[in-house]
Parts: sequence; structure tokens; C-alpha cells
Amino acid sequence: MIFLHLVLASLFIGFLVGKYTTVQFGSLYEIMLYLLIFIIGLDLGRSTRTEELKKLGKMALILPLATVIGSLLGGLLASFLLNIPIKWALGISAGFGWYSLTGPLLAQYSAIYGVIGFLANLTREILTILFYPLAIKKIPKELAVSIGGTTTMDSTLPIIVKFGGKEITIVAFVHGLILTAIAPFLIPIILQL
Amino acid sequence: MNIFIPLVIGAILGCLFKNKIKVDLNRLMSVTLLMLVFFMGVEAGKVEINAINLFVASFTFAVLTMLGSLFFAVLLGGRLR
Repeated sequence: MIFLHLVLASLFIGFLVGKYTTVQFGSLYEIMLYLLIFIIGLDLGRSTRTEELKKLGKMALILPLATVIGSLLGGLLASFLLNIPIKWALGISAGFGWYSLTGPLLAQYSAIYGVIGFLANLTREILTILFYPLAIKKIPKELAVSIGGTTTMDSTLPIIVKFGGKEITIVAFVHGLILTAIAPFLIPIILQL
Repeated sequence: MNIFIPLVIGAILGCLFKNKIKVDLNRLMSVTLLMLVFFMGVEAGKVEINAINLFVASFTFAVLTMLGSLFFAVLLGGRLR
């Protein structure tokens, strides 16, 4: 939670600097973005665990697939409702809750869609924390994991395990892991369409 | 530069040096992210933003992507239970 506050503070301070000063940071943004993407790649390569995927069987693949299809269709619907070009809407929804990746990637091309991508995915994380405990009263707990997207392997995992039970840990972790591997590839592909 | 290049290089290096990387990647990622978010805020500050529209758009995307995911999870995953 402290880090979330730091992230929001950074965004707010940056916004004030951009709005009220004329300071230029040159290509520091791009350098930081490529550094972050490199570290994400390093972390992905280091932490991929195939044995956990094997334990779960079909559910390990079906659940992330459902999240991908559902998120993209949700984004498509949002594009019609909000009158946002489909490319940007799909890019925003392909973050699957990974706000720290989606925001900067989209901001490379458009500051506004970058901020929407950031906030939409951050909101998804916050809403997962608030609504997972309610969702499992009506929906099977392993299927309700899908609402969290990539966050189910880290930030929302404690909530999911606390309310869904320990047996849900591997399902949630693998779901988040697979989506975490997909998002960094899917967003740039959509943006290049 | 294409975004895939640092990602793929990082993933390959991560796989190759799985047990040799002693750097705290989480801390490094957090610092980089905070700086990146700051620069993103700077860029956003330079353009006119309607805060209410921004909030409505973000909330709509969050809710619809969550509901879409849940719908397809029940539709596809429900058969496996």
C-alpha cells in the first residue's frame, strides 16, 4: 500500500511539474521505459516455473485465456461507450491490471491514453481488492480470480488467498504469471496495428 | 527502439543466468517505475486534461474488463469444474 501511495504521489508531482514549469527531461522517459522493460524481461526469464503449470492442467490455460478474451471484449465495449479509438481501447485493456506497464507503454504514443491506461489498470487492481470477497459469494472462487488479471500473482494474491482459501494460491499465481508473460508482447502488437 | 528488444534480451539473460542474478530486481523495478510514472505525469501535465472525463473513462475500462473476464471465465472455465 505504501508503494501505491508513492506511485500516485510521483504521478501527481510529475503532473504539477509538467503543468506549472517548463522543465525539459529530454529522452529520460524513453531510457527509463526501456530499462523497466529490460528488468521485466529479466524477471520473467528468471521466474518462469513450468512445473506449476503442469500441476493445474487445463484450468491453467483456460482461465488466462478467458481473462484475455474477456478483457479485450470489455475494452472493445468501452471504446464504443466512450468514443475512444479501438486501437487505444484494446491497448488499455490488454494491460490486464498491470498499470505500471500499460501506462508508460501507451504514453510513448499519447500522454492522455497513457494516463487512462495507467488509471484504468490501477482501478482494476483496487476494485479486485474490494470486490473479490463479494464476487466469490456468487461465483466459484477459482473462476473469480480472473477479475484480478496480472495482479493475481502479486498485489491481490494475499486478498484472494485470504478469502478464497490456500488451495486457490497456485491457480491465482499461475493465472497472473501467464498474463504477465502475455501483456508486454500483446500491448505493443496492438499499438502497432 | 522496438519495445520487444529489451524485453527479449532481458528474458533470455534472465533464463540463462537464473541462479546467478543476485540484484534485488524488485527494488530496481520500483525505482525505475517511480521515475517513469513521474515523467508520465510531466507529459500529462503539459496537455489539458478533464479530470472527471479521465476518471469516468478509467472506471469504465476497469469495470468492463473485469466483467468481461469474469463472464468468459464462467463460460469457459465452468465446464472444467
